[in-house]
Amino acid sequence: VFGYIVPEKPELKIKEYELFRAFYCGLCKSMGKYHGQVARLTLNYDSTFFALLISCVFNEKLDIKKERCILHPFKKRIVLKNNKVIEYISDINILLAYYNLKDNWDDDNSVISVAGMVALKRACKRIEAKYAGMAEAIKKHLREINELEVEKCNSIDMAAEPFARLLGELLVYKPLLQSEEAEKIINWIGYNVGKWIYIVDAYDDIEKDLKTGAYNPVVLQYCYNKGENKGENACEFKNRVRDKISFILTYCLGQIAKTYELLEQRPYSGIIGNIVYLGMLKKTEQILYGKEMCNIEKSV
Amino acid sequence: MARRCAILKNPYEVLGIKEGASEEEIKKAYRELVRKYHPDQYRDNPLADLAESKLREVNEAYEYLMKNKNTSNEYEQSKRKSWWNNSKTENGGFYQQVRVQINNGNLDAAEKELNSTSDRPAEWFYLKGLIFLKRGWYDQAYTHIQTAARMEPYNFEYKDALRRMNNANNMYRMNAYGRGYNKDLDLCQICQCLWCTDCCCECAGGDFIDCC
Repeated sequence: VFGYIVPEKPELKIKEYELFRAFYCGLCKSMGKYHGQVARLTLNYDSTFFALLISCVFNEKLDIKKERCILHPFKKRIVLKNNKVIEYISDINILLAYYNLKDNWDDDNSVISVAGMVALKRACKRIEAKYAGMAEAIKKHLREINELEVEKCNSIDMAAEPFARLLGELLVYKPLLQSEEAEKIINWIGYNVGKWIYIVDAYDDIEKDLKTGAYNPVVLQYCYNKGENKGENACEFKNRVRDKISFILTYCLGQIAKTYELLEQRPYSGIIGNIVYLGMLKKTEQILYGKEMCNIEKSV
Repeated sequence: MARRCAILKNPYEVLGIKEGASEEEIKKAYRELVRKYHPDQYRDNPLADLAESKLREVNEAYEYLMKNKNTSNEYEQSKRKSWWNNSKTENGGFYQQVRVQINNGNLDAAEKELNSTSDRPAEWFYLKGLIFLKRGWYDQAYTHIQTAARMEPYNFEYKDALRRMNNANNMYRMNAYGRGYNKDLDLCQICQCLWCTDCCCECAGGDFIDCC
């Protein structure tokens, strides 16, 4: 589910790129420090985006150091240290990774999932104890997701709802946000990011899910291979629903961009704008139009 | 109000300009911010009230700066006022009540009310669509508003809402292109985007391209 939120690197300024990396390395180091080396493997760019977003609200002086790490033993890199936002985001990154593995395990019983779960189990217990009510909230939403899957929910909006809400709620960590206004803004951005991730992921999985027969809300909502569309293949189906999915996804991105503008301080506008307007749009179109383009005639 | 703003916030900061900026610069910054926080931009967003208070802040800062320069200009003021009076009052009774609830952000109550009737006129679909829109259920919202517009093709409000949803996506894309997304984009698409934005701004009382 994760790893879709990426910056468009060539369009970043060098200083923005460095800062982005400082956040990324900061998250990685923080995970290693508090939760062990294995935890660091779960890091993704999504979390970096969340950390930048919340740092707009929780304005802390950035403590920047140059350090080496296992992956880059020779060249020192800029790392963000002792940052409350980084700490919080690395915690929820681990929780989400753990539950994602658990979900995979329920689906396919793979060995990798179990190994990961075992490695993260202790860190997870520790984090759950640290934030009251968070584990319950996550479990509640994940249960809802499962229920919708079992029911074979055929509405994309409804299917995406629990994950969208989950992300919205996770990003609202009151000690960091300090005002009701900021909570509302971050919550709505989180909601739309969650929705976007869920739907992008669903569209990306269409072929795979058609083969395995796994649940996919896009397939169900647009009645794959039924009625007047009897006899279509996965590619034709994707072409048929592309514009509709594109509409929803772009709408989510538009909302994220607009809502971000409501924040009181926007110190990282360069990077966040790059991610929201360039990186996420590019990802959307890559997934929609595919690398192999699904032999479509793109309308002018 | 103007005084409160002057004490709480530096009006130059609010407008995002340097202190001592020229009148031209102030006006330019002001115009850009108004476009950004215009209520029409946030109609589909549950945080519309925040955008409104942002805009109010911008207005106050602008007014303060202009007053201090003794160049308060009646035209600008009358233009600004008209943006606030765009509340609609149509149709009495049941649906009016639902509209009030939606406007107040009382989505659950509004939905309950709507579901209590078995009558399904175009307005029902329209309002249901609005509720979906504010909840973030964009797909359902579009389908419902589309149904309403199809049932009453001559209703401006429904058609306008549909156009607005499409426009939201165009606005986002235009911003992305402005930032350098897909530089090798064909000219035709850019023109189309500009044209759409211009139409949108004109409907809202402003203008994007002055000459048309």
